[in-house]
Amino acid sequence: MYRTEDVLTTLGMVRQHKLDVRTVTMGVDLQSCGSPDVSILCDRIRARLLHYAGRLREVCQEVQGRYGIPIVNRRIAVSPIAGVAAGHDTEGLIAVARTLDATAAEVGVDLVGGFTAQVQKGWTEAEKRLIEALPLVLSTTQRVCSSVNVGTTAAGINMDAIALLGHVLKDTAERTRSHDGFGCAKLVIFGNAPTDNPFMAGAFHGAGEPDCVINIGVSGPGVVKAAVEDLVTNAKARPTLGEIAEEIKSTAFRVTRVGELIGREVAARLGVAFGIVDLSLAPTPEVGDSVGEILQVMGVKRLGAPGSTAALALLNDAVKKGGSFASSSVGGLSGAFVAVSEDAALADAVACGDLTLAKLEAMTAVCSVGLDMIAVPGDTDAETLAALIADEVAIGVINHKTTAVRVIPVPGKGPGDRAVFGGLFGEMDILPIHAAGGSTAFVQHGGRIPAPLSSLRN
Amino acid sequence: MHTYIVTVTAADRVGIVHAVTGSISDQGGNIIELSQTVLRGYFTIILAAAFPEVIDPRALRDAIVARGERFDLKVAVLPDEGHHVDPVPGGDRFILTVLGQDSPGNIYRIAGKLADRGVNIVDLHARSDGPNFRLIMEAFLPPQVKPAELRSDLEQFGAGLGMEVFVQHEDIFLATNEPRPVRVGSSRNPEGSDVVVPH
Repeated sequence: MYRTEDVLTTLGMVRQHKLDVRTVTMGVDLQSCGSPDVSILCDRIRARLLHYAGRLREVCQEVQGRYGIPIVNRRIAVSPIAGVAAGHDTEGLIAVARTLDATAAEVGVDLVGGFTAQVQKGWTEAEKRLIEALPLVLSTTQRVCSSVNVGTTAAGINMDAIALLGHVLKDTAERTRSHDGFGCAKLVIFGNAPTDNPFMAGAFHGAGEPDCVINIGVSGPGVVKAAVEDLVTNAKARPTLGEIAEEIKSTAFRVTRVGELIGREVAARLGVAFGIVDLSLAPTPEVGDSVGEILQVMGVKRLGAPGSTAALALLNDAVKKGGSFASSSVGGLSGAFVAVSEDAALADAVACGDLTLAKLEAMTAVCSVGLDMIAVPGDTDAETLAALIADEVAIGVINHKTTAVRVIPVPGKGPGDRAVFGGLFGEMDILPIHAAGGSTAFVQHGGRIPAPLSSLRN
Repeated sequence: MHTYIVTVTAADRVGIVHAVTGSISDQGGNIIELSQTVLRGYFTIILAAAFPEVIDPRALRDAIVARGERFDLKVAVLPDEGHHVDPVPGGDRFILTVLGQDSPGNIYRIAGKLADRGVNIVDLHARSDGPNFRLIMEAFLPPQVKPAELRSDLEQFGAGLGMEVFVQHEDIFLATNEPRPVRVGSSRNPEGSDVVVPH
C-alpha cells in the first residue's frame, strides 16, 4: 500500500498545480534525404517524417490515457536544413519549408523545428542562403521554426551572421506586421545551442543523434511554486534559502521522473530510442504557471528588484540538481525560462516598469535560455538588434552555457504600446531599449569575436 | 506443507501480535504472509501460516484465543484452499483516488462501477472526516479495460455525487516516490502484452 501522503502529493501535482508533459518532441535525422532535384528532396523528407512520426499522435494519446498525465504538445525536430538542402536556391529552401509545414500538419504536430543553420565560426553559401530566406519562410509557413547558432565557447561569435540576423528580424517582423511581428517568435538565435533541446522554437536534431529519438520537455512552474509556497506558509519558522532550494530540488525530482516515464513509454511503443528529459520551468500566460510567481513566493515581490538575479540563480540550480538526481538522461536546457510575454508575472513587471531589459540580461546570466519572447520598439534599427544579440550570446560563450535571443521588433509600436501574440505566446508591453543606436559602428566591424581563453582546454 | 488463513480482530492493545504469532509458533507453524492495521482503535490482522502436518482449524483458533485471553480476541481460521490465483490475468495495477463530499453509499457505488468492469480491488483505505470523504485504492484493471475510458466514466460518475475521481497507473507513483531507476512496465505481469524496456 502506498503512503496516503505520497499518493496525495503526486495527485496534487497533476490536479492542482498543472503538472504536464509540455512536449513530446521526436527528433528525426534527414541527412539521407539530400538530392539535387528539389521535388525528390521534398518527397524523401515527407516519406521519412511519415515513417517515423506517422503514429506519434496515436501513441501519445495512448500513453496520456494510460497514465493520466496530459501531453500538451507533440513536435518534431529535424536535422539542420542548411545541410539537408545544401546546394538549393531560395526557391528550393521555400519548397522544403512548405513540405515540413504540410507534413507536420499531416501527422498532427503543432511545430516543427530545424530550419536551422550553425554558423558560429563561419558560414557556407547554403547556410547564408538559409538565413536570408528566413523572412519569407517564417512569414509564409505556420509550423516551421528556425534557429541559428551564432556562437560557441569553442569557436567564438560570428558577428557577420549576427549583423545579417538584425536585418532578418526587421524584415520578418514587417512581413508579419498584422500579427505584431509574430514571425520573429519562431526564430531563436543561439550561443552554445544544445543538440537535443525539445522546446520550440529552438529545437533541432543535431549532430551525434540517432536516426530517430524521443525527447521530452517537462515543465511545472506551478508545481514548484506550490511547493515553495507551502513551505513558506506552513513552516514553523521562516525557511532558510537553503531549505527552499531543497524543496525545489525534491519537486524537480518528481517532475523529471514523470517525464522520463512518459518518454520511455512513448519511445518503446514507437520502437525508437529514448533521448533526454529536459526539465525546464517553461511558463505559460496562465496565472499560476509562471516562473516570475516562483520568485515572488521566494520573497522577491517586485520582479526586477535587486535580489531577482540571486533568486533566479537559486531556482535554476536547484531545478538542475533535482533533475540530475532523478535521471541520468537529463539534457536540453533544463533550467528556468524567463520568456517574458509567455509569463504573466514577468509581463506585469515590465508593464509597471520594475523589469527592464538590462535587468533581464543580468538574470539570463544565471538561468536557461536568455532574452526570450521580448517585444521591443518596431523602429529599433537592425544594428541595435544585432548588438543586443551579441551581448546575450557573449554571456553564453564566456560562461560556457546556452543563451538565446527571441526578440520581436513590433512594427508600428513603441514604449507604452502592447504587443499581443496570442495563445501560449502571450502578450506584453513594448520594452524600451536604452541608448538604442549607440553601438552601430561596433556591429559594422563584422568578423568574428575570437573564442575566449577558457575554450583552450585541450 | 498445509496452509491456513487466520484473521483476528480486537480492541487495540500492546502485545496482540506477540500473542497471536506465539500461538502459531507453538503449534509448529511458519507465517508466510501477514497484513495488520489499526482502524479507529480496533486492531485487525490477516495472515497465512504454513504447517508441516494437517491441523484442526478449531484447535488453532482455540489456542490463539486462550493465549490472547486478556485481549478478548475474535479469531477465525480457514484452510487455504488455493484461491490465490490471479483474478485479473495480465492486468495492470492502478491507484484510484476519490476526494469529495461524504454521503452514505459512496464506496458501494464506486465498487459497483469497478465490479461491472471486472476491476479487482486489492487494497483500499477510506475515511470520512466530517463532511469530507477520501478513498485511496489499489486495483487491477483487466487488459480489455481502457484506462482513459474508465477514468472518464468514473470522473463523470463522481461529479454527479460531488466527488472527484482519479485513475492513475501505479508507475506514476513509483516514479515520483522512489529513487530507483524509472522502469516502463514495472508493475506489469511479465506475460502481459506491453513492451518492457531494459535500460
